[in-house]
Amino acid sequence: MLNICFVWCRILTNVRFLFVGVVMNDAVFRKLTLLGEGAKYDVSCSSSGTARVNMGNIGSASCAGICHSWTADGRCVSLLKVLLSNDCLYDCKYCVNRRSANVERCTFEPEELADLTIEFYKRNYIEGLFLSSAVFGSPDHTAEQMLRCLYILREVYGFYGYIHAKVIPGVSPELLSALGLVSDRLSVNIELPSEKSLDLLAPQKKPKAIFAPMRQITQTQTEQKTLKSAGNMARLRPEGLNVSIGDGSLDDARALMAKNFSNIGNEVRVQTTSLPDIRRKYKEKFAPAGQTTQMIVGASPESDMQIIKMSEALYRKFSMKRVYYSAYIPVTDAPELPSRLAPPPLKREHRLYQADWLLRFYGYTAGEIFTDDEPNLDYDLDPKVIWALRNLKYFPIEINRASEEELLRIPGIGNVSVYRIMRQRKIASVKYDDLKRMGVVLKRAKYFLTCSGKYFGNCGFDPVSIRAALAGPEGAQLSLFDVRNSQNELSL
Amino acid sequence: MNYLYDGSFEGFLTCVYEHYYTERADGIFPEGAYQLDMTVRAMSVLSDEVKVQKVSGAIVSKISKYDMERIYRVFRTNEPDKEMKLLRYIVLGFGVARSGRNGGSIRLLHGNQTVLDVQKAEQRIGFEVHRLCGLIRFSAVRVDHPSQFVATQSGSGNKGGVVESGMMVAHGGNEILYARIDPDNDVLEFLAEHFSDRYKRNPFIIHDTKRGKALVSFNREWFITDFSSGDLLVDTDSEQDYQRLWKLYHEIMATKERTNPKCQKNFMPVRYWKNLTELQTFNLG
Repeated sequence: MLNICFVWCRILTNVRFLFVGVVMNDAVFRKLTLLGEGAKYDVSCSSSGTARVNMGNIGSASCAGICHSWTADGRCVSLLKVLLSNDCLYDCKYCVNRRSANVERCTFEPEELADLTIEFYKRNYIEGLFLSSAVFGSPDHTAEQMLRCLYILREVYGFYGYIHAKVIPGVSPELLSALGLVSDRLSVNIELPSEKSLDLLAPQKKPKAIFAPMRQITQTQTEQKTLKSAGNMARLRPEGLNVSIGDGSLDDARALMAKNFSNIGNEVRVQTTSLPDIRRKYKEKFAPAGQTTQMIVGASPESDMQIIKMSEALYRKFSMKRVYYSAYIPVTDAPELPSRLAPPPLKREHRLYQADWLLRFYGYTAGEIFTDDEPNLDYDLDPKVIWALRNLKYFPIEINRASEEELLRIPGIGNVSVYRIMRQRKIASVKYDDLKRMGVVLKRAKYFLTCSGKYFGNCGFDPVSIRAALAGPEGAQLSLFDVRNSQNELSL
Repeated sequence: MNYLYDGSFEGFLTCVYEHYYTERADGIFPEGAYQLDMTVRAMSVLSDEVKVQKVSGAIVSKISKYDMERIYRVFRTNEPDKEMKLLRYIVLGFGVARSGRNGGSIRLLHGNQTVLDVQKAEQRIGFEVHRLCGLIRFSAVRVDHPSQFVATQSGSGNKGGVVESGMMVAHGGNEILYARIDPDNDVLEFLAEHFSDRYKRNPFIIHDTKRGKALVSFNREWFITDFSSGDLLVDTDSEQDYQRLWKLYHEIMATKERTNPKCQKNFMPVRYWKNLTELQTFNLG
């Protein structure tokens, strides 16, 4: 077993203490192109979850995170998201940088990337660094090189900005422990929601190598008492609503993990007693912004229900901050994968994110969002409306009496509106006209609430009538991608 | 009565005083923006320190300290008719306080139009400040002729005393970070703490070209001053390379299959684009 001191010595002795900028040449442009291109399929973008003032030379972190730009696909650029190397040992079928792909290979020098990060940060282009990498040499060698880059940033430049580090599956617990101390957030990508798909598409990635680091991160945070659950999950107890909570307990999460992944490894115990100075410097704070993961949607045959149940298990078992969903973009022709001509399933990804929000911020369980007859999310209406139509017996809900948990179940009312309603109720009753000023989307909400006893819906109070009203021109939901319109055109 | 004031926060508070002690206000306007209205009498109001203290003291004690800060933030916005919207808010707060309840509780009345007006304006400036924390782009520049470069303290700052312009230039070994902004609201001082902490070792200037003033900061101190000498600053040697590198990175991070310019413009309105390095056209060499 590697001694942690030894790891640090090896990394520290090799650091060149040079304060020169990147030597600008075509190679840097080339590397940034290839290694940025390779990193963009990792959709995690946030720089949130930790707040700190500048105790070093440069940099700070804002709890809500800061987006610095938006690309032409409408997604934000917050961190410099880049691979340290794209020279991968593995041959995962869905990946642009798989071993068998014919792409130019290159690797950043840790010093070079640290310099570039500082130069970008100084100009306020970015909020920090998101460092990922292909597996080159071995998982441990890769992690050491990443660690070296991050160490230069923290120690040589006194960088106090945000760092998100990707954990390479199979990395040794000692290196992960060191990585956690220089990073704000860690992530291990699960990529596919079942062992079967993982075996088929990423044969070299073993479930054990994915879950062991996840578990270690959760354990370390538990020991340090820094573990926070995702969103409002701990606060909003679905039991309060007196509805069937279905399978949402920690035991169920364990059972589901075991069902989808037969071998997820044993508990890990890590000695964190012998870290050098760096431990004191970061006040033993290990990944203060928690961990996230990502699942690819549409590369394997799992249903939405399987995906969301997996997410729920990850939230409950590991207290993940977030699970990201990435609509699969075909990068290769393989018989196991969708055709290269297939468009990415953006609408499906959108609906999955909505369901995910219901889990984290609205107190729903996966068992409520799906029924066995409907294992996939509705294309036309969002999952919250679908749940309400399926459970009309709880509605209409009276705005001036209902609990916070009940209010959150009304379609068209979100956390901000609930907060405002609860505040105004302390000193005055809430009138129907007030709701719009509070940010409630009345065109959806009006079918599901009463205000001081009066109901404002203008159709029969049954699922079919309300569904028709919601799908009509007045109630039609804002479509991000206009999927329905384009289908209509085709059928003409 | 229409009250005309000099555009300063103190002037506005004096108008609030006159509303209570002289005559009810029909409108409050900054002097320059006033269009003569023959049907309403108008009066110019000069800022008066005693009246300012009386009004601000009453707002803090009868409404709340939080609301005083809120009123100041809203005063810094470009909200149309912000003076009357704020006056109505203050009147509402004093009214609630007079009825024996806590004047600060008016901010819980989210359904009230008067409260909503103030809440919305406050949200807009808060949102713009947050947005600019991300959208500001610095260039590394140097000063060609330090003697011509003028940045002296005239406005508010987080440290007392006068700061010599030369000190700032000398401090960073001649490299300064310089950014141009053109914001809807007067946001400079709300950006000050964030940036002066983040770049405490890097002297920087954030230049509001629309209002002709700048936030100047070095060594964790900052002040706001009139400013127009942005043209005297020249890029350092490697500046263009980093700009090209950033533009390149920004382009490759877009996934072709997901192109969605509407969504991009939603998050990053086009009016901010002219100061964004990555959206400028220059030779990618």
